[in-house]
Amino acid sequence: MNRIKAPALSAAFFLFLTGILCYFSGRSFRTMHRSETVFPSVGLTDTHQLSDYFPPLKNTHGDTEVYIFRGMEKGGNLLVLGGTHPNEPAGLMTAVLLIENIRGKRGNVIIVPRANSSGFTHSDPQEGNPQRFEVPTPAGPRLFRLGSRLTNPVDQWPDPAIYINPAGQKLSGNEVRNLNRCYPGRANGFLTERIAFAIMELIRRERVDIGIDLHESAPEYPVINAIVFHENSSELAALALLELQAEGFDIRLEASPVNLRGLSHREWGDHAGIKAILLETPNASHGRLKGKPSSSLIVDGKDKFYAKASRLGWLFVPYGEEGIPLSLRVARHLAALKALLGGLAELEPEKAVEFEGMPLPSEVQKKGVGAFLHPPT
Amino acid sequence: MLRIFYHLIVLYLSFHLLWHLFRQKKPWSQAGAALVLTLFLLRLFLIK
Repeated sequence: MNRIKAPALSAAFFLFLTGILCYFSGRSFRTMHRSETVFPSVGLTDTHQLSDYFPPLKNTHGDTEVYIFRGMEKGGNLLVLGGTHPNEPAGLMTAVLLIENIRGKRGNVIIVPRANSSGFTHSDPQEGNPQRFEVPTPAGPRLFRLGSRLTNPVDQWPDPAIYINPAGQKLSGNEVRNLNRCYPGRANGFLTERIAFAIMELIRRERVDIGIDLHESAPEYPVINAIVFHENSSELAALALLELQAEGFDIRLEASPVNLRGLSHREWGDHAGIKAILLETPNASHGRLKGKPSSSLIVDGKDKFYAKASRLGWLFVPYGEEGIPLSLRVARHLAALKALLGGLAELEPEKAVEFEGMPLPSEVQKKGVGAFLHPPT
Repeated sequence: MLRIFYHLIVLYLSFHLLWHLFRQKKPWSQAGAALVLTLFLLRLFLIK
């Protein structure tokens, strides 16, 4: 009798432990679906969901917030996309910084901070990435999600062996979950294709004139510290380059390859006829040569392995011991945005977009991103 | 429909693990079964 009872008791104990483990891991898992609150500035005029432009996206993890700042004066329409790749934090942070600070003056500014919201609900497997990164503000730290480059497989699965995207490009199977390979999207396609389609609908219905897609890339990747432009925006990109170089930002121009289809800088220009630009800054946290992934690697950008790789000449950007912090990466995006809008006003004055309240890139670089964010609640 | 089948399979395997847990006499074997059961329960309730 005692021989039977003892294992049953210990089994009940292990079952209890199972319950505790499930509770804590389940709670942690659920927090991945919680988006951080964004505190828009007083200049915000409209808030929409992406599903307002494409209703089948409603009640899916592909739906996301769209913030619009309308100016009093007539001008052009600017679209800023952050979070196309949720493992590239400078895109999200630049979009959040704009939402929390700007006031429209001329034309309209449309900002989508989490373009692939499904990608924010999971992390890249086997990378050991932190679930969130911490941005210090004067009133305490604010936490932001670090997601995956791809749509969550819980929302879109399985991947095909070979993916032929809506523009006809043949790609490896998992690219079916990469938003920046799915343009111009399909109304009845995979979730990621439907998100891309919804963004194209937003561009069409809001009569966007210029679209800027904010990205980051690993320091060993050749397209870095770059403005990637559609051929309809070559003059604009060249003007922005001159201004950025005059301000001390080392940046290069990359023409969007005509035969590389499905990307924002190609399909926005080809299918929607807008000026299409993609910006890249260097981010060690999603590179292959990095050390231990952590929140400070994302925010401070210090990594001794990248510093060594830079000394050995393996990188496409100089990477010193001081690292490339998030503040510098966001400042680069802001400076490029300012330069592009300056160029647009010069080339097509009737489509000029102006807004107030954007922190100066030099100030962001000096004081950090958190100095310009709403305090945490 | 596919989702219901999937959940039924995971539910069946979870019950099997539970049965296995109470049949084991060695604590280490029970701990092993409990750990695998955790993964199955998380899959059952949190992942479609």
